[in-house]
Amino acid sequence: MSIVSVRGLTKKYPSFELKNVSFDVAEGRITGFIGRNGAGKTTTIKAMLNLIHPDGGEVDYFGKPLAGNETEIKQRLGYSTGTVNWYPRKKLRDLVDTIRRFYGTWDEVAYRKYLEMFGLDEQKTPLELSEGMKVKVNLLLALSHRAEVLILDEPTSGLDPFSRNELLDLFTELKKEGVAVFFSTHIISDIEKCADTIVYISKGEIVAALPKEEFAVRYSREGESLEDTMLRMERGERNE
Amino acid sequence: MSDILRKEIKLSASPLAFLFIAFGLMFFVPGYPILCGVFFVTLGLFHSFQAAREANDIVFSALLPVAKSSVVKGKYLFVCFIEGCALLLMAVVTALRMTALKDAPVYRTNVMMNANLFALGAALFLFGLFNLIFVGGFFKTAYKLGKPFVTYIIAAFLMIIVFEALHHIPGLEAVNAFGTEHLGLQLALLAGGAVLFALMTWLSYRTACKNFEKIDL
Repeated sequence: MSIVSVRGLTKKYPSFELKNVSFDVAEGRITGFIGRNGAGKTTTIKAMLNLIHPDGGEVDYFGKPLAGNETEIKQRLGYSTGTVNWYPRKKLRDLVDTIRRFYGTWDEVAYRKYLEMFGLDEQKTPLELSEGMKVKVNLLLALSHRAEVLILDEPTSGLDPFSRNELLDLFTELKKEGVAVFFSTHIISDIEKCADTIVYISKGEIVAALPKEEFAVRYSREGESLEDTMLRMERGERNE
Repeated sequence: MSDILRKEIKLSASPLAFLFIAFGLMFFVPGYPILCGVFFVTLGLFHSFQAAREANDIVFSALLPVAKSSVVKGKYLFVCFIEGCALLLMAVVTALRMTALKDAPVYRTNVMMNANLFALGAALFLFGLFNLIFVGGFFKTAYKLGKPFVTYIIAAFLMIIVFEALHHIPGLEAVNAFGTEHLGLQLALLAGGAVLFALMTWLSYRTACKNFEKIDL
């Protein structure tokens, strides 16, 4: 069942255009949003979170449009747009103390659990954290209020291979609990490891939005890995 | 207290915004344009906006589970909160100058504007001007602070000159009333200032919400 529906998103910039982007995110599944740098992943995610104003199209969550239901919908979402680039000199404890008040479903037990799992220190400021740890702060916040959908922009970027693996395993655990995970990445092995569905964007256009197996059947040549398929498709060689 | 106002006070506010409330005490100073106190209060607010911008506060706020319009609301609530505190301080000083200090020679011989109900109305008008020009101007981009602040400074100082000059115009001496003289007029001028403050703030807030909705963060 579709829990997030993106329909016909368009956004025009002087040097880039998001063209009629449409796809669905299914309940209890992991959807990998893949594309090279500058393909439109972050623009799409920002439009999905109402951080940018699209020229056209709409985004529905739980069957309701984001426009007009933003507060209610955002309570049920966990999201991060890359790294923590705000309040660099405030202690994590103070930031969390403010943020938790906005969520009626804030789960202190889950917060403590993930704080320990990610090895984060509440007394530190974002300025004192590495890029990888900043990504973990965003994830910590997203996971601490029993979100039904996680929308994460490049959560694995900047993480060491061990942390990346832990994170992808965590996605699989969350999926078992019924959480839908939508994450963007340019690392194809992330998709291979845990995604059920692939949404592939190139030059602002959705090339494919299919279950992983179906994607392979439709686009991969015999004996070709997902990585090789995508590299070939990026070169413009498609076999449909 | 609303969560968004709490966030503004706890995270976004510069300590100067609170410290500069004390400039409300300038209503005690004779021989000086007391409405400059209003300007200094808004200078503290400007510093708060500047510090919040450097901390990427707008993106932080927009990522909270609130509508984009609530981000705007938070800023206006905070600004009005600081202005309200400063106005309260000015009102206490004005009350003292209208009662216990009304015959003090240092104030009776003061060529500058007297601290009375009209002065409080004028302070409200200047706060409204700040909300209209600076806060509203900031939300056109949610980034640029310089142009709206300079525009506000010019408008505010022109109005301070006008307010200071009024009681020197023959026939308008009543605006500089001491104690409870011309109380009806004084109350009407205070009410006028309050109405204009409310109108300018509301208009600015409405426009800011519309503008901010269209901004790409």
